[in-house]
Amino acid sequence: MSRSLPLSVIVYARNSSATLGAVLGAIRASDLPRESYEIIVVDDSSADSSVVIAARHADTVVKLSGKGSGPAYSRNRGVELARGQVVAFVDPDVVVQRDTLTRMLAILADHPDVDAVSASRDDNSGARNFVSQYWNLLLRFGEQRYAGRCAQFAPGCGAVRRRTFLSAGMYDEWRFATACLEGVELGERLLGAGSSVLLNSELNVTHLKEWDLGQVCQEVWRRSNLLARSLGYSRISVLAPSDVVFTLGRTLVTAAAVLVTLMLAAAFVPPPRIGAEAALALLVLLVTNLQVHRYYAKARGIGFAAMSAPIHVLIQGVAAAALCTGWSLRHLMGDVSPDATTQAYSEVGLEIWPPIPRRFR
Amino acid sequence: MSSAGVDAILYRDSFSPTSVTGDASAQSSFALQQQTASSARVSAAHTGPRRTPRKSLIVVLPENHVVSPDLVSDSVSTEADGEVIDVILACAGPPLSIGTLQRRVRDLQVLLAPAGTSSEDLRELAMSQAPGDIVTLLTGRPVSV
Repeated sequence: MSRSLPLSVIVYARNSSATLGAVLGAIRASDLPRESYEIIVVDDSSADSSVVIAARHADTVVKLSGKGSGPAYSRNRGVELARGQVVAFVDPDVVVQRDTLTRMLAILADHPDVDAVSASRDDNSGARNFVSQYWNLLLRFGEQRYAGRCAQFAPGCGAVRRRTFLSAGMYDEWRFATACLEGVELGERLLGAGSSVLLNSELNVTHLKEWDLGQVCQEVWRRSNLLARSLGYSRISVLAPSDVVFTLGRTLVTAAAVLVTLMLAAAFVPPPRIGAEAALALLVLLVTNLQVHRYYAKARGIGFAAMSAPIHVLIQGVAAAALCTGWSLRHLMGDVSPDATTQAYSEVGLEIWPPIPRRFR
Repeated sequence: MSSAGVDAILYRDSFSPTSVTGDASAQSSFALQQQTASSARVSAAHTGPRRTPRKSLIVVLPENHVVSPDLVSDSVSTEADGEVIDVILACAGPPLSIGTLQRRVRDLQVLLAPAGTSSEDLRELAMSQAPGDIVTLLTGRPVSV
């Protein structure tokens, strides 16, 4: 290993050509001296021009082959090559501000008790469509409310001491083949090992990814499903922002409140009661999610908050269904694991490039 | 891909191999040999799964930039870790002096792009030629006046 550096910035990329140039350009525009950090881009079998875009800015480009191994696996390969005492992970759709990396390094330098620090998303999504704005604000709402020391090591932009990361066992590449909650799982493991993880609400980054409603529902499904099936619901739900991991507290309470209200309306409101029931249900939904709707109204206005209400109901429903499904799958099929071939290769210890995902625990 | 990358590829196609400076025919022959050897290595490497990643080192020399042969040698020895490493030198216009580098680095491949090609475009061009799974990129320093 050649000489060490203060910082290695690791960017995971998969078919990220639309945003990767801006992301790497923002890192290069940081106010850190260029010789004090390296940029490592790990390309996870992209079919587009991500690799050549990466080459324009990066110091090292890792080209993984195969069908795609996921961000946890890819970031681990990047860390294996990193020379930095601190490694920062930046997603291929996240634009850092000029001083984000500098401030992260300063926090880690000034607070020896803090081992990992994450940036929070700012309230401007890089994509202008409504669903992207809604999703970005929802996650920001969770991150702002739970900022401080928690298990949320935001992979969008987070920095961790390299030795701490290695001693914690790196990202869990065995179970997290999709970009979903691997940062929460790592944060929880770091906390369990006695490390301190800080989610700093004053460090802001911009997420550029454009979401549509289907993608948001899929993401909520994946997060909730994985939370119940793989992460251990009771453990994680108290350690991570519930608006980020989507706990029952944000879903079933609302559903129960609506149900009770409808039953009371059926008992006490004289017919015809359809309109009254609908109005009551809507009122209960708004009241039980008052904080988030107030946040939307404050950030984007009353109209935006009103338009976001039905989407919010929808994703709460998706989250509740996914949590139940995940819980059932956990008891029927056990934890998430790679396909049988990968498990067999791992069992016999096959040495190959790219390496077989490692089981850390 | 930028237009500069296309320009450089056209340039290579028009003037044939990827070598520069000195005796043109000798250099062309040298470059062809390197290319053939490299192709053979690529074929050999791709006949089956590898245990270790293939590595490439790209050295980028924009116009009026130079690179220390020591720096490249050090990088090669660090990165190679006892294995073969592909070294690609991407230059904008004829490089100022690469004789020492060619002597020190076995199988040096030289990509010549038109003078004035930016560092980023050279990197992009070289990356499209690099066979490695892990590619390290170095940029030369400006010639001190």
